[in-house]
Amino acid sequence: MRGRRTGGYAVWLLLTACLYFFENNTGTRILLVCSLLLPLVPTLRRALMAPDAEKAAPRFREQSMPTAAKSEPEDAGSLRLYQPGDPLNRVHWKLSAGRDTLLVRELAEGQEKGTPEQRSFPGELPSRSRSNRGPVFIICQALFAAALILLLLLPEARLGAMALANRIFRASEAVNAYVYHPFPVPAHQSVLLACVLLSVLLLSWLVLTVLSRRSVPLLLTMTGCVLFQVYFGLSFPLWLQILLFLFFLCVLLQRPWQKKALLLMLGCVAVIGLAISLLWPRPDAATEAASEAVRDQLSRTVQEITGRTAELPSGSSEVRHTHTQSLSAGEGIARPEREFQLITREEEQFSMPHWVNYLKIAGLLLLTVAVIVLPFLPFVLLQAREKKALAARAVFQSADISAAVCAILQHTVAWLDAMACGGENLPFRLWPPALIRHGLPEAYAKHFGACALLYEEAAYSEHTLSEEQRQEALALLEETEALLKARAGLRQRLRLKYKEFLWI
Amino acid sequence: MRPELDKVVSEIEKVIAGKRDLILKILTALLSDGHVLLDDVPGVGKTTLAVALSRSMGLLCRRVQFTPDVLPSDLVGFSLYDRESGSFLYRPGVLYQTNLLLGDEINRASSKTQSALLEAMEERQVTVDGQTYPLQKPFLVIATQNSVGAAGTQMLPYAQMDRFLMRLSLGYPDYAAQMIMLRERQGANPLDRAQCVLTREALLSMQQAVTQVTSRDAILDYITRLTMASRTHAAVSVGISPRGALFLDRVAKAHAWLEGRDYVTGSDVQTVLHDVCDHRVLVREQADKTAGEVLEELLRSVENPDRHRIFPGVKR
Repeated sequence: MRGRRTGGYAVWLLLTACLYFFENNTGTRILLVCSLLLPLVPTLRRALMAPDAEKAAPRFREQSMPTAAKSEPEDAGSLRLYQPGDPLNRVHWKLSAGRDTLLVRELAEGQEKGTPEQRSFPGELPSRSRSNRGPVFIICQALFAAALILLLLLPEARLGAMALANRIFRASEAVNAYVYHPFPVPAHQSVLLACVLLSVLLLSWLVLTVLSRRSVPLLLTMTGCVLFQVYFGLSFPLWLQILLFLFFLCVLLQRPWQKKALLLMLGCVAVIGLAISLLWPRPDAATEAASEAVRDQLSRTVQEITGRTAELPSGSSEVRHTHTQSLSAGEGIARPEREFQLITREEEQFSMPHWVNYLKIAGLLLLTVAVIVLPFLPFVLLQAREKKALAARAVFQSADISAAVCAILQHTVAWLDAMACGGENLPFRLWPPALIRHGLPEAYAKHFGACALLYEEAAYSEHTLSEEQRQEALALLEETEALLKARAGLRQRLRLKYKEFLWI
Repeated sequence: MRPELDKVVSEIEKVIAGKRDLILKILTALLSDGHVLLDDVPGVGKTTLAVALSRSMGLLCRRVQFTPDVLPSDLVGFSLYDRESGSFLYRPGVLYQTNLLLGDEINRASSKTQSALLEAMEERQVTVDGQTYPLQKPFLVIATQNSVGAAGTQMLPYAQMDRFLMRLSLGYPDYAAQMIMLRERQGANPLDRAQCVLTREALLSMQQAVTQVTSRDAILDYITRLTMASRTHAAVSVGISPRGALFLDRVAKAHAWLEGRDYVTGSDVQTVLHDVCDHRVLVREQADKTAGEVLEELLRSVENPDRHRIFPGVKR
């Protein structure tokens, strides 16, 4: 839940930043500042309304566990007769109604009204809490935010970033393939400040990525790398790409080491590589040679005519005609722009409409992202599974023993169902004969029957169960898992793995 | 099994052998404060059972043999003009001062009498000439109707059948039970040996205890799903009424209490379903099924609450 929210916020922030970068006016400035301040809202609310939040939190616990006063009001000893001067909100109206006298709830000293003594959240995992992320994380967050704000708000830094972008455009490999519109920047704009801010931004983002327990920032970084290369028409050298990939790999592996996940991922990489090497269309040598020859000839012809080296689009006799005309008029050197415009206009008539190109770019982008992201997918899935398993196990240890016993028995039944040796739609207390019929040992069936009665008590009564009963149920679960794993054949074992993957 | 009721059951078993299940069912009905319709052939010991029940618990037992000319005033009583005092005197009927009423062959009574009885059963009071007289507590009616020789009788309409908590059937005793019965009856009537082992007050407090039994939402959900499924079943023309659902809950509570628990489980509901609901389901003639078979299908198809996970903290 939280991870999705953070990821969504990051994407939103990026979009706003882009908007501000290209359309610099008051509206976008306000939007950007507002969205930068957005994460402060929960913090502020927590700071301002701390006591309310504390009160609201244990609400569902109170629902699931009846308080002692509800089941046995007399022996609690917390009721006494009303005396003049007692606050009216302490009167126990329900009990008073049946008795003709007013009864007042007596509170122990120091105990606030409505605050249960014991507080625990079954769904909450300890690793998720905010506090144990460490100061480095918070400092990096602050650095990142500060660098981003400075970069966007200081005109000097913004202009520097634009100049930097212009430089990168100029360095791009595809400088001749597309028409770039460089940002309007003064000629000798200093890029120092922008460089510093950008490197702070990048470094703090990287540290955040490494420290964060979620995969979203990492995936964002990877996508950012790809987008950077595509947008600027650059491609990092091969060693850098591999280094980046290895970096991401290391960051992912730094989370609890999983041999299975590593193998899965390597398998994915191998399969994708194999598919690419087998299915990728290779250039036909003969066609390449022919087109090379044509291009050579063309450029030689042009060179002969103009005396300059220029790469002309192929197959435009019309263009050459105009060109010669202008030359014969003796204006060739004086007005090169006009000729070039002519050429491009001609070219536009021949080429495909623009949207096809955009579509191609988008398709390529998607493909690249998919190729980079896919190998990491098993990781993400395994992590999600681990989280789910932890959450399920957390219920087993929750303070509400009834809920814990219910969860344990349901878990056991899920195991039995997965092996198709359950008792179908019978109440659990009637399962033991069915279990014996499916070949499970008699002692186990007896144990299951005992635990089924325990389950009924946990699920349908308002009794408070004891810790031993929880341990008994846990013992049943362990026994079941051991028994079923020992019994399962290869196919069933695979099926169990699959089921485990689905619901644990 | 509660020890105090165990004594009652063994006391009754002295008189009627081999009918432990049925005795327990009638006790369940008594505990959940409802009435029983016995659907059976004559001479299998219905009266003996009722008398033994009343003696072992110190209850007042009366018996009415219904015929077409039994009138409502025979049941609820009537006012008689007393010449000496110059005022009307209430002459109580059979229902007054009775804990356990055995109504034999209720289907032979006229519909007027039937409805008077059923009204008294429902409201637990009789009203004569504007005066209301409350009936004794507990008040249990065991009505019988013969399925054979029903010609010229007024069969109870569906709406009135619905008011009975349970419809049970005694059935013939098996070989061993009949041998015991014949041997016992050689000397004195064993009915005389039945002793009072439970007071009326204890019974009332038991009834009170039964109402304290917990039915969690999971159980109410199960009852609701069962009854709603019975209403939409293809073979059924009239399904289980909301009153049926209420009764089902009540009887399940009594059953759970009899088993020594203070909470209802899904198996309680399953156990009592046939007794409580068989006579509430009207099956289409084309379906060629009995109501019991339909309910059996429902038990198989409707997920029981153990499997239907709506408990807090448990994910599907």
